[in-house]
Amino acid sequence: MGDIAFLLIIFFLVCSEASKDKSDLDVKLPYSEHVAKQKTTVVARVALDGTGQIYFDGVKVDSAKDVEWGVRNLLTNTVADDQRHVQFKCDKLQSKEAFEPILQAIAEAGGIIEAVGEKSEK
Amino acid sequence: MPRKRHTKEKKNRDLAIPTDSFSDIAFLLIIYFILATTLTKVRSITADLPSGEKTTQAQPEKTSIVNLRGSELFFNDQKMEIGALNERLAALNLGEQDGNKRVIMLESARGTSYENYFQALAAISAHGGVVAIVENEK
Repeated sequence: MGDIAFLLIIFFLVCSEASKDKSDLDVKLPYSEHVAKQKTTVVARVALDGTGQIYFDGVKVDSAKDVEWGVRNLLTNTVADDQRHVQFKCDKLQSKEAFEPILQAIAEAGGIIEAVGEKSEK
Repeated sequence: MPRKRHTKEKKNRDLAIPTDSFSDIAFLLIIYFILATTLTKVRSITADLPSGEKTTQAQPEKTSIVNLRGSELFFNDQKMEIGALNERLAALNLGEQDGNKRVIMLESARGTSYENYFQALAAISAHGGVVAIVENEK
C-alpha cells in the first residue's frame, strides 16, 4: 500500500508543472465570442495588469522593449510556428498607449500572440 | 546479569525505523497534491501580427481597415457594431485568400480600451485575417 502511494506521489511530482503564470495579478480579462481553449504550448507569458505594470514570465519588467528582448532571446533557435506562441494577458481597461507597444514588441520579436480573454455569448 | 540483557534488547529496538505510518503520510501527500492542483486551461485568440519594416505608405484602396475611435467601431469608414463587423469579415472569406489579401489594418484612436481592441482583434483573427497595426504619428 505504501509503495503504491509513493509511486503515485512520484507520478504527481513528475507530471505537475510549476506555473510560471502569476495568478494573483489584478487583470480583468476582456470578453469575446471568438475565444477558444488554448491548445498550443506557450514559450512565454506576458501580462499587463490594471496598474500598468508589465510582467514577463511573472517577473516585473520596465518597458515593452524588455519584452521584445526577452521573447527574441527565447525564440533565437526556433523554427517551427508552434513554438512561437506567446501568451498575452491584459487588463480590459488598459488604454492603447499601454498595450499596443507590447503587442508590437511581441510581433517584432517573432512571437505569435495568444491574447487571453473570456468567452462571451453572442 | 539479567540487567545486562535488558539493555542489549533496548539497543536493538532503537535501531529499527518505524515504517508503519509511512503509507498514511504518503496518502496525506497524495490528497494534498490532488487538492492543491488546479487544472486551468486558459481561453485565448491567436493573432499573428506581421513583423518587419515599418512603412508609411499604405494601400487603403486595396486593404480593408478597422478603425476604433473610443467606443465606436468603423469598417472601411462605415460605423457598425461588432456583430456587423463579424458578418462583413465572414463575407470576405479571408481564410481562403492568400498573401496581402488576408491583411486587415487595425487603427485605433488614443485612449482606446483593450476591451474594444480585443474584440476587433478577435473578430479579424477568427475570420482568418492577418492584423496589421496602423501606428498613429507621434
